[in-house]
Amino acid sequence: MNDTLTLKGETLQSRLLIGTGKFANIETMIAAVKASGTDLVTVALRRFNKAQAEDDLYGPLAQLEKVRLMPNTSGAMNAKEAIRAAMLGRELSKSRFIKLEIHPNPHHLLPDPIETYEAAVELAKQDFLILPYIPADPVLAKRLEDIGCAAVMPLGAAIGTGKGLSTAEMIRIIIRDAKVPVIVDAGLRAPSEAAHALEMGCEAVLVNSAIAAADNPEAMAAAFKTGVESGRAAWKAGLMPTSEAAVASSPLTSFLSRDD
Amino acid sequence: MQIILNGESHLLEGDISLLALLETLEVEKKHTALMLNGAVIPATNWNEYTLKENDEVEMMVFVGGG
Repeated sequence: MNDTLTLKGETLQSRLLIGTGKFANIETMIAAVKASGTDLVTVALRRFNKAQAEDDLYGPLAQLEKVRLMPNTSGAMNAKEAIRAAMLGRELSKSRFIKLEIHPNPHHLLPDPIETYEAAVELAKQDFLILPYIPADPVLAKRLEDIGCAAVMPLGAAIGTGKGLSTAEMIRIIIRDAKVPVIVDAGLRAPSEAAHALEMGCEAVLVNSAIAAADNPEAMAAAFKTGVESGRAAWKAGLMPTSEAAVASSPLTSFLSRDD
Repeated sequence: MQIILNGESHLLEGDISLLALLETLEVEKKHTALMLNGAVIPATNWNEYTLKENDEVEMMVFVGGG
């Protein structure tokens, strides 16, 4: 069955987006990307350093035929820097995808909603396909949808913390009102959390640390693939309603007891 | 002539283009994005710009990131 994810006309086969940071080496990263089944991975920009030329991911990722690159704006402290990073990223990726992230405080890495909004307004004018990393704020999510973002990416928890879907209630509200896909980005640790996000109605998840920092990243990527597929299938199947009172699933007719 | 390359002073001999600079540095051109004095310069224009004294050039590549 064909259940693709479409972002402003761009179709993805997989609902698992993968970040390429924090892997022990490029071989491990490539193996994890392959095992995840993803067709969209994030990359960051950095100044070229001849002493670390092996960090250049362009070549290794270009060998993965069906995988597209989504540059991020990591390192940008404000809208102006993020716009510049996006323009640079597009030069290399040759794609419209941009993960817009502006998190100036290294202590918590939480997104700056004002700078993110301002950058998104400008990038939308320049025909970028914008996936903004945002706090789980339903009002901000709606505003970003209104100016043309392709999706919104609320955080589950702070980047790299592995604290899971701590913002689940807010994400539920975002999903209820959103007309663009909601993608949980950051904070996930376990495939069950990815499944939970998809069961709630998220259209995808973006995972990096949970895979890169696992004992076996390739195996964890495969586990996340299964988690995402299972969560999506459950959402499509329609979860049963919850109830405060118990509702028996077996007949309770009393035939064992006798009054005599 | 001195330029600022990736934040550091860099000496050049004679007039050279952005493209020639990359070739001198043996940088993989297809893997590199360039910014000149804060503006992104598309690869198609690298040969048209001749570097001037105190130009600031940033050479960026893709690395791992989430």
